[in-house]
Amino acid sequence: MTPILRICHLYPEMMNIYGDRGNIITLAQRCRWRGWDVEVSGISVGETIEPDYYDLYFMGGGQDREQMLVCEDLRSKKAQAIHQAVELKACFLTICGGYQLFGKYFITYTGEELPGIEVFDAWTVGGEKRFIGNVVAQAITTDGTTRTLVGFENHSGRTYLGPGSAPLARVKVGYGNNGEDGFEGCRYGNAFGTYLHGSLLPKNPWLADELILLALKRRYKLEELPPLDDTLELLAQRAAVRRSRMRRKR
Amino acid sequence: MKGKSALAIFVSKATGFLSRKLGTGAGTQLPGRIALRIDPQLARKLSGELEYGTVLITGTNGKTTTANILANILRISGYKPIHNRSGANLMHGVTTALSSSASLSGKLEGNIGIFEIDEATLPQAVVQLTPRLVVITNLFRDQLDRYGELESLAAKMNKGLREISQGDLLLNADDPLVATLGEGTSLNISYFGISDDRAGGGNLQHAADSKNCRSCGEPLAFHRVYYAHMGNYHCEYCGVSRPELTFSANMLEIKGIQETRLTMEGCGSPLRLTLKIPGFYNVYNALAAAGAACILRLDRDTIVKGIEEYSTVFGRAEWIEAEGRKIFLVLSKNPAGFNEVIRTISSDGKPDKVLLMALNDRVADGTDVSWIWDVDFENLVPHTGGIIATGIRAEDMALRMKYAGAPTHSIAIEKKFDRALKRALQAVPPGGVIYALTTYTATLELRKVMTRLGYVKGYWEE
Ligand SMILES: [Zn+2]
Repeated sequence: MTPILRICHLYPEMMNIYGDRGNIITLAQRCRWRGWDVEVSGISVGETIEPDYYDLYFMGGGQDREQMLVCEDLRSKKAQAIHQAVELKACFLTICGGYQLFGKYFITYTGEELPGIEVFDAWTVGGEKRFIGNVVAQAITTDGTTRTLVGFENHSGRTYLGPGSAPLARVKVGYGNNGEDGFEGCRYGNAFGTYLHGSLLPKNPWLADELILLALKRRYKLEELPPLDDTLELLAQRAAVRRSRMRRKR
Repeated sequence: MKGKSALAIFVSKATGFLSRKLGTGAGTQLPGRIALRIDPQLARKLSGELEYGTVLITGTNGKTTTANILANILRISGYKPIHNRSGANLMHGVTTALSSSASLSGKLEGNIGIFEIDEATLPQAVVQLTPRLVVITNLFRDQLDRYGELESLAAKMNKGLREISQGDLLLNADDPLVATLGEGTSLNISYFGISDDRAGGGNLQHAADSKNCRSCGEPLAFHRVYYAHMGNYHCEYCGVSRPELTFSANMLEIKGIQETRLTMEGCGSPLRLTLKIPGFYNVYNALAAAGAACILRLDRDTIVKGIEEYSTVFGRAEWIEAEGRKIFLVLSKNPAGFNEVIRTISSDGKPDKVLLMALNDRVADGTDVSWIWDVDFENLVPHTGGIIATGIRAEDMALRMKYAGAPTHSIAIEKKFDRALKRALQAVPPGGVIYALTTYTATLELRKVMTRLGYVKGYWEE
């Protein structure tokens, strides 16, 4: 049976800052190159979710105004289904604003409180300075393998993790979650959150494949994915690491 | 001019002269920066001497083209515009332009100021320069990493405009955020936009920026989308709609990358305009310039002539002859601009295009290259035969094209501009075309290489 990856893109119109769409393109292409089918559904404000239909959920970042509109809808229309999907071990990738709203709450710099949907044991407080620039991080893996993560951060929220969520990576260049504890992103079960946006998955093909594997192995007999030629991906990753040295010097 | 101002003018001129002689290219900003340090009021004083006042042009895209077209119309009409150089759009750049055309006594060679101004500099510029007319082309979030949210940028611009007690304001009605920028000001507001139902499309592109109603936050309904988030829209919830157009373009005919024709209404009887520059974005630029010219009460015939005669001077889109081939060099610096370029070059019917794609991530380009994932390169790949990726982030561009569907064997990475150019020339037979799509600083660097090779004249010789 040919696997089909069903992707739910949450709020594609409103939460799509800085090329988040690149992550969807990457997931879809890496499935197609393996001869598998992909179905991407955009789910917007007011629409409901069938929790066990989708294998992989994606939510990107948005501008302040969009994030507030989405916050209300996420809680009232989607939170319950999302929690069910998390229990069913569906895969989640949330970035920037999506990451923040999947935590417990976000108190903006001006003091407004946006309640989150509490998938992650994490909370966010707005800061004055914006963290902007290329990031290089080392993923925290259970088997001790070295996995590099590169991306670009641009956020003023500082996110802190409680004991219920594990950090995704240790920052080598950049600020990461909050600029204090050296961690970047978080993970709870098959749900991932990160501040690294835009071209996260294209330049980190191992993470793209890990998400695809987690998403598909619930339904199909898959232990590992057929390998792809990642020469260009790794060239771009190395270029991003080189470019990040500019930031370290500052 | 008093001693301090005269000294500031002198030092500014001397710095500009030296940097031109040395070819450092710092001649557009540095002289003004030094002059303002000596006399912080210099721009205010000099612009006050302009007989026909000052026009400011701001917005994310199109300010250079709009300013160039307007300056050309003014020249034909017999005015002597003082005009800052492309990209030199902070107060330093304006001061450089003013002081380089001033005598030490403060007498100016020109009589009207046409200044393109960075969006974030507008509040400061209106106070310093008291413009008679402000033109706002559009607002995109491509420079968000420098200025913060689009919303707060718009609020600052609006606050700045409220500081001026009189004058004209010309706004792009098709850009929902720009259309609101005149609220609460005491300015005389005019709007420009496109009203051709046969042109454009019905859907917002991926890169669309302003898609929610500014008064109630609900999604806007677009009856027509012409370019990025610009079109004819209304809000089904609170009834807000696109403002009535003062200057409107209709009967659009787009002829590939060579020219566009349109009819402009709002300046007396309809004007038939021919643009020698491609794409919808240039329709907006031409409309903004023609609308501004109309507000300045320039002669209708000179408006038609000024637009037609205009051919892009620097970078935006130019044809360059090289080794018996033609290079179509076009600045492509953000998703909306890129999508428009793709739409335009795909329409010329030539298969297997050779693309020279230069991606830099310097501050002027935006240090975050993620935006390339918002460009619909998927629409370009079917027309493409070979791709040479170059620039500081060549690898990112190559990777983007791979995911857009280009076979990896058709993608080459050449980080150095001269080698990339050589390779592109080899890939195209004599008489063929190279499509060079380049970000801001990459355009400058590629052009520098082409100057050295004798394909184009240097920036300073133009
Ligand atoms: Zn409304």
